[in-house]
Amino acid sequence: MGHPTHVTGEGATQHGTGFPKRITSCPCGELPRSPDGDSILGETCRSGDRDKAGSRVCRYDMRHNATTTEKSVPKFSRMAELALLAFLFGIVPLLNVLGVVDSTHLNKLGRYLCFAIVALGIDLLWGYTGLLCLCHAFFFCLGGYAMAMHLSLPGGGGDVRPEYHNIPQFFFFNNVETLPHWWAPFNSLPFTLGAAIAIPAILATVLGFTLFRSKVKGVYFSIVTQAVAWGAFLLFCRNEMLLGGTNGLTNFNPVLNRSPGSILFLYVLTAAVLTALFVAARQMTGSRLGRLLVAVRDKEMLLNSLGYRSEFIKLFAFVTAAVFAAVGGMLYVPQNGIITPNVMRVEDSIWMIIWVALGGRGRLWGAVFGALIVNYGYSVLTSDIPRAWPFVQGGMFLAVVMLFPSGLMGLWDELETHLESTTRFQALAAGLAVAGIALFFVTEALGLVPGAIQAAWMGVPIKYHLLLFVLGAAGILALLERTGTMRRVTQ
Amino acid sequence: MSPRLDVDRIVPFDKVGSYHVYLENARVEFDGFRALDIDEFGVFYNELRVIIGPNGAGKTTLCDVISGRTPLTAGTVYVDHTDIAHAGDVAVATMGVGRKFQTPTMFDSLTVLENMDLALPRGKSVLPNLWHRQAAEETESILSVLKDVGLSHQVDTPAKFLSHGERQWLALGMLILAEPKLLLVDEPAAGLTDKETGLTAELLLRLKGRRTVIVIEHDMEFVRMLDSLVTVMNEGKILAQGRIEELRENPEVVQAYLGR
Repeated sequence: MGHPTHVTGEGATQHGTGFPKRITSCPCGELPRSPDGDSILGETCRSGDRDKAGSRVCRYDMRHNATTTEKSVPKFSRMAELALLAFLFGIVPLLNVLGVVDSTHLNKLGRYLCFAIVALGIDLLWGYTGLLCLCHAFFFCLGGYAMAMHLSLPGGGGDVRPEYHNIPQFFFFNNVETLPHWWAPFNSLPFTLGAAIAIPAILATVLGFTLFRSKVKGVYFSIVTQAVAWGAFLLFCRNEMLLGGTNGLTNFNPVLNRSPGSILFLYVLTAAVLTALFVAARQMTGSRLGRLLVAVRDKEMLLNSLGYRSEFIKLFAFVTAAVFAAVGGMLYVPQNGIITPNVMRVEDSIWMIIWVALGGRGRLWGAVFGALIVNYGYSVLTSDIPRAWPFVQGGMFLAVVMLFPSGLMGLWDELETHLESTTRFQALAAGLAVAGIALFFVTEALGLVPGAIQAAWMGVPIKYHLLLFVLGAAGILALLERTGTMRRVTQ
Repeated sequence: MSPRLDVDRIVPFDKVGSYHVYLENARVEFDGFRALDIDEFGVFYNELRVIIGPNGAGKTTLCDVISGRTPLTAGTVYVDHTDIAHAGDVAVATMGVGRKFQTPTMFDSLTVLENMDLALPRGKSVLPNLWHRQAAEETESILSVLKDVGLSHQVDTPAKFLSHGERQWLALGMLILAEPKLLLVDEPAAGLTDKETGLTAELLLRLKGRRTVIVIEHDMEFVRMLDSLVTVMNEGKILAQGRIEELRENPEVVQAYLGR
């Protein structure tokens, strides 16, 4: 059509280097024309509203309609997402039914997916809105305890016995003979589901409203939430709370996390909830509200002077994150079989932050993968080489702070960018790293590590040598490419 | 829980006359340091007023008071005949007071277009924004303002990649787009080239007579271009008021500011 294919005029020359992904074309194949030929962006595309396939609005209209979700997911990531969905809902359950993946591993995956749900909420609150909350484990436990109460009661199939007055067994040791009246409604599952969401939501609303209204910000917000977590922990440890004290709640129906059928069901349920909440979170971050969340993080003062009540935006993020955490806790308890106040310590909340930091702050996928990888790393290393875990933990944190500030998602972005460009070695390096990490964790998660590489060599199982070798190779490749050595060699 | 403006404290028209902004015996103290001490200061409706003064003269504090960010220690400040001394910045912004901060301030992770979108004078409540869709005419108005400030080729650039000059433009563009009745413009020409300064002045002059504009500026050439009434501040007080030519002759002003 004779349209220019690149941005011309002052825009291109001024910002040729600043911003790599400048949009220079329209997927509909038509480029908007500017009468003065000065700049082509900001004009309306002349080809109409639809692209050639007729399915999607033209990029220019799309951008102006601010549906950012579509433009932020490139094709490669779309494919990866579909593959992941197929893996979660198809391959893993199938392998379990076929007996390849045993139920213990499936149960563990189900529990870690609950953590991923929590991490999603934390990412909304910390990654997007910039609020570092240190009482997330408490919200997780609120959902968990509500579910645990239901599961301890006869209505939830709890293991009650006549010798313990037919009420949850721990009451016997607290010298309580009749069920406290506030326990009774938890016999019903719908009430429990409602309460498990409403209680943390109400608490978060009250706490958030008080804090945000009095303009408690930054590190002070973290400190107050940390104090809340500590206070809650002490409270839940008391027997007078009638929630099992330090022993927590257990004696659920043993079928829940032992029978293969129940484990598979709970796993699929967790995966489905995670998927649904992920989609919801993505809609949220892609909406105008999502941009307001980022705006709070960037410059709250300006947001106020534009007439937005930033405290309500923060409150929305806080309550949403609390509800996500509670949902995670609700699904976690039946799969874990017990909940104790030890899960709501401040350390646990900090752990949750580390998942998100490692995965990539402000990226939803980052939160999910961060939660899975840190937890699997912990689980695998503490069983293979227990002494190494603190070092790996510290190393991971240092690596994120010093080398990959955008976490694992940064690595993924690198892969994606280089796949599209001509720097193949860079793509190879990032691809090697991503594939190595993925293969390592997938085999671990499914319990499919071949015996040959599980054997120790120099005191460490061979699989670690392999992982380190692959990561090292990727690092060297990336370094060579960055210094230009590779280009000289291949030429 | 939106803070309501107290109806009883709406001032009779005759007291503040046709002033859009009116301060009376206004004092602001920070830990005993008197940052602002104004006996009387008023800006008429649709006036373009320039405030100059040396560093620490209280110009930005005055802006903070008018935009509701800093409460007065004593005295009253009326905007649109309403006492806003303790109303808070959001309430004042809702009344139609827009502000450009001294350092060009924007949402760095968002693109130019998204920044402008948040400045639109609607959609300020939280939840409706979950399913909000932008109307075509809003896009039109954003693009036309972006064209005015020369950023139409940068719509998809995240604000953090903009140069200082472009940031000044974007901040000004967001202010213009918000269509406030009163614009507080803090140092719009700082760090701009002469040509850009001229364009900024042109943009502000376009608003002259249609909006109330209060401009704080150091650049004398820029002040001369605006060709408006100038208020000189020093040590928190109003030192003099007049046209820039007269003020150049005023020994007190020269002593405090111009002579340095």
